[in-house]
Amino acid sequence: MDHFPTNWGRPRNDAFDAYGTYPIHQRPNNVKDTFAEGVQHTQQPIVTGTSVLAIKYKDGIMMAADNLASYGSLARFRDVQRLHAVGNHTVLGASGDMSDFQYIRSLLDDLVIEEFTEQDEHTLGPAEIHEYLSQLMYARRSKLNPLWNSLLVGGYKDGKRFLAYVDLLGTTYSASTIATGYGSYIAQPLLRKAVEGREDTLTELEAQAILEESLLVLFYRDARSLDKYQIAKVTEGGVAISESMALKTSWSFAEGIRGYGAQTQ
Amino acid sequence: MFLTRSEYDRGVNTFSPEGRLFQGDSFIAFTNRVSVEYAIEAIKLGSTTVGIRTSAGVVLGVEQRVQSPLLESSSIEKIMEIDRHLGCAMSGLTADARTMIDHARVTSQNHAFTYDEKIKVESVTQAVCDLALRFGESVHDEDAMMSRPFGVALLIAGVDEKGPQLFHTDPSGTFTRYEAKAIGSGSEAAQSELQDKWHSQLSLKDAQIIALRVLKQVMEEKLDHHNVQIAQVTPANGFEVLDQTQLKEIIDQM
Amino acid sequence: MAQTRSFNPYTENGGTILAISGQDFSVIAGDTRQSEGYSIQTRYAPKVFRLTDRAVLAVNGFAADGNMFVKKVKQRLEWYKHAHSKDMPLKAIARLIQTMLYAKRFFPYYVYNILGGIEEDGTGAVYSFDPVGSYEREACRAAGAAQSLVQPFLDNQIYFKNQVAAPGTTHPAHLPLPDVLSIVIDSFTSATERHIEVGDGLEVYIVLAKGRDLQDFEAIRARNVHLTQELTVTEDGERIFVMRLDLKKD
Repeated sequence: MDHFPTNWGRPRNDAFDAYGTYPIHQRPNNVKDTFAEGVQHTQQPIVTGTSVLAIKYKDGIMMAADNLASYGSLARFRDVQRLHAVGNHTVLGASGDMSDFQYIRSLLDDLVIEEFTEQDEHTLGPAEIHEYLSQLMYARRSKLNPLWNSLLVGGYKDGKRFLAYVDLLGTTYSASTIATGYGSYIAQPLLRKAVEGREDTLTELEAQAILEESLLVLFYRDARSLDKYQIAKVTEGGVAISESMALKTSWSFAEGIRGYGAQTQ
Repeated sequence: MFLTRSEYDRGVNTFSPEGRLFQGDSFIAFTNRVSVEYAIEAIKLGSTTVGIRTSAGVVLGVEQRVQSPLLESSSIEKIMEIDRHLGCAMSGLTADARTMIDHARVTSQNHAFTYDEKIKVESVTQAVCDLALRFGESVHDEDAMMSRPFGVALLIAGVDEKGPQLFHTDPSGTFTRYEAKAIGSGSEAAQSELQDKWHSQLSLKDAQIIALRVLKQVMEEKLDHHNVQIAQVTPANGFEVLDQTQLKEIIDQM
Repeated sequence: MAQTRSFNPYTENGGTILAISGQDFSVIAGDTRQSEGYSIQTRYAPKVFRLTDRAVLAVNGFAADGNMFVKKVKQRLEWYKHAHSKDMPLKAIARLIQTMLYAKRFFPYYVYNILGGIEEDGTGAVYSFDPVGSYEREACRAAGAAQSLVQPFLDNQIYFKNQVAAPGTTHPAHLPLPDVLSIVIDSFTSATERHIEVGDGLEVYIVLAKGRDLQDFEAIRARNVHLTQELTVTEDGERIFVMRLDLKKD
């Protein structure tokens, strides 16, 4: 006699101890991969993107990331898009492993299509996308086979701004300014100073200026960054991701630096 | 008509276009209807069993038909303990009840382990009834658990936070709460007798006596302490089967 | 085989939680800062959750595990309600949490849980757990980053450790609600001063037993009108309130 209702109507498994102490019984998964010994899990990222920055502002949220995908210290791919629209209300930005990001995008594209074909008047908003990604990232870390990314999900739906983070451990949080990677050390203090308490008054131009200033500082300090970047905004009107733009750098200050390099005096 | 499977062939849970359960024109659905209905009929051939709820506890009484003078009457077990606060009396194919009571016991222990509290009488009854319809043909790759329905009805007695309660289950998986209930061959006469005698002020002693009187009326043999059994569930002592001395005492008081 | 650095599925997200029970109430509190290393991730990530009208759970440690654990506990409470047509009693929730934590004994939820609320008999209760499910009922408990700062303070103020009662008197077995709330708030302001992972905001859940006299609480509530919110709908059962206070953000 099998006392666990979840087993009823399913193929039997007599090898399993049916009197396990865990109350709501989980069906045992005895399907073992023949090649399990040979399966490898991601232990480190390979081709990586650096920081993603995002802030809330008056009309919605704005997100920024450069176009570089590095192979270790080699600036390998210089025209990579790291901001991605998901449906009509959400933008996803990724740092970390770019192939894992590509895989996540394909999952989300499938998800959006599946949801669309239901035609049930439900549309995935940023909160739903973020919850989905949180469950995905946490499930993968729990299999010790993480998707090696820090992701930002930003969006605007039903008059509400949304901005949240999820990473390879499944850690999540929400805040009015978020930065991943090096950006969390270098850009986040700048963003907080410029944004906290001003979320409802910052204009689009001001928001963009704040992000560009932060990208610039990052470009000066983060060796894995690039001066080519994109900015995405999500507002009442939907998602808009800009073309690639170039940071206006200035190196004239280097003239005045003394004590190392070519100058002797 | 028979043997060809139609779209209504989905096991016992099939409704016919007329809305009657089990009455599609398929052979299998037909068989299942007949088997549940026969199982319910089979219980009417079982020995009479009564249950009476009072505010002080629940009393269960069964008739033990001693078919031969060589038969050891104490080996007929028709009242069983599910847990300290739960008891059960049966009528019908008593062997089938073992599976159900086994399930009830595991469910009750599991609940106590997980929640550090006694399971409710209704919950354990529901758990037993969940078993009832796991029979018949299998649907696509599913395994059916049993080839036929249980041929037994139960009276489940217990005491929980809602006080003393009595439930009745039948082979269709339906359960109902009763103040007093009789099942088995003499159930019709017994039930109307219970209806006459039951009132909300009954003491436990009253209930014991009524249970025996009702059994006496419907039994062919003369009632004595060998051919009946009484059990009770009370808030203070939980489940207990009355021993022969206690039984004799009540018989004397009848 | 190539050298492999193994992936570490855990991290610590700072913060501190605390619960104190009284005769007919229970107070459960937690700060709202979430951090990793020296970085503050957010100034508002709740660690204290209302489970039923008489149970509140505080979760501290690895935030991702904590959120998943709370989600699963809530799911089990919902199933229980459907199966048994009642809210799960506090001591049953405590035992459930033990079985859920122990079920993952060999890949634990890296979280310290404190459960507070009202028992079936109307008394205030606090249960504390370790990550693999050992639990006990106590009068008070602190856990998390500043446990080592706060617990000794509670031992002194709640259990009166190292205090001698005035001649001819004894220490009270239970403290009144206003005293408990002061101790809770002082604990967190102090922990914020001395521990970098504690600060930003404080959420204090107050669970009051059914039919409890509300006079003392109403006085506190009146002083903090805009900070206090009631979470229960009915006024004839246990009642839960939450107070949201600021802590220093540096």
